[in-house]
Amino acid sequence: MRHPGPNRLEGLFWALFAQSAVLTALVIPAHILVQGVLGPLGIVPAFDQHYSTFAAGLGNWLVKLYLFIVFGATFWVFAHRVRYTLLEIGVPGGKQGLGVVTYGLAGLATLVAAYLLLTVP
Amino acid sequence: MLGRRETGLGEDAASGASTGGREAAPAHPNRLPTDWWRRNPRYVLYMLREFTAVPIAIWMVWFLVEIGRARGGSAGYRPHQSLAFVIFSVVCLVFAVWHSFTFLRLSGLIVRIPLGERTVPASAIVAGSFGLLIVATVVVGGLLILGGR
Repeated sequence: MRHPGPNRLEGLFWALFAQSAVLTALVIPAHILVQGVLGPLGIVPAFDQHYSTFAAGLGNWLVKLYLFIVFGATFWVFAHRVRYTLLEIGVPGGKQGLGVVTYGLAGLATLVAAYLLLTVP
Repeated sequence: MLGRRETGLGEDAASGASTGGREAAPAHPNRLPTDWWRRNPRYVLYMLREFTAVPIAIWMVWFLVEIGRARGGSAGYRPHQSLAFVIFSVVCLVFAVWHSFTFLRLSGLIVRIPLGERTVPASAIVAGSFGLLIVATVVVGGLLILGGR
């Protein structure tokens, strides 16, 4: 039975989604443009194109923290949007079931990101 | 994201069918056909916007793979440089820009900044958001490039 009053957990999920979506909207295009297009094509240097610069960057705790937040935000936006979109196109599983799957995937991916960032030299 | 959850007709309608043992009017089923989003180009764009999160997340997983390769030291490190990766990134970049454009365009409706007894106009908030996108792109992109020198 649903309790009276606002669903605070749902509100928290939406607030996290809004903040994460803003962050990803601001920084993700730059990452993809430099690391995914310009860097591999050799048009500009990019920090992940050589081990020495990549390791030096990842060795910085501020970079680790920043990347962890960006990974977490990206995966949260993925989970939240996919959950509700699947619901809207009638995929079976219900709101809770789809939430468990999508948030579970996002949580797992964020944990993997944390592990990799903490264990990279 | 303005489907049945915004109208509250989905689960609530189903659970509101019983009223203290008395037979109530049948709840509105609110069952849209699964292809509703293909019936109008605006709905297709809406759905595209919602699914921008998928290619972006896949690209970030790709980035995680790269970080994983770096854990093995310089001998085992191979950055993504193939043409396939570049093409994939271009596709993801289109989706990422589409996400940025559509989400930041909504900022004028979402953000309310008090200014005395009035609020900052929505158009100014949208302009500020896109200005912030340009600044963030220059700063983040610049740092990624400088880090590679």
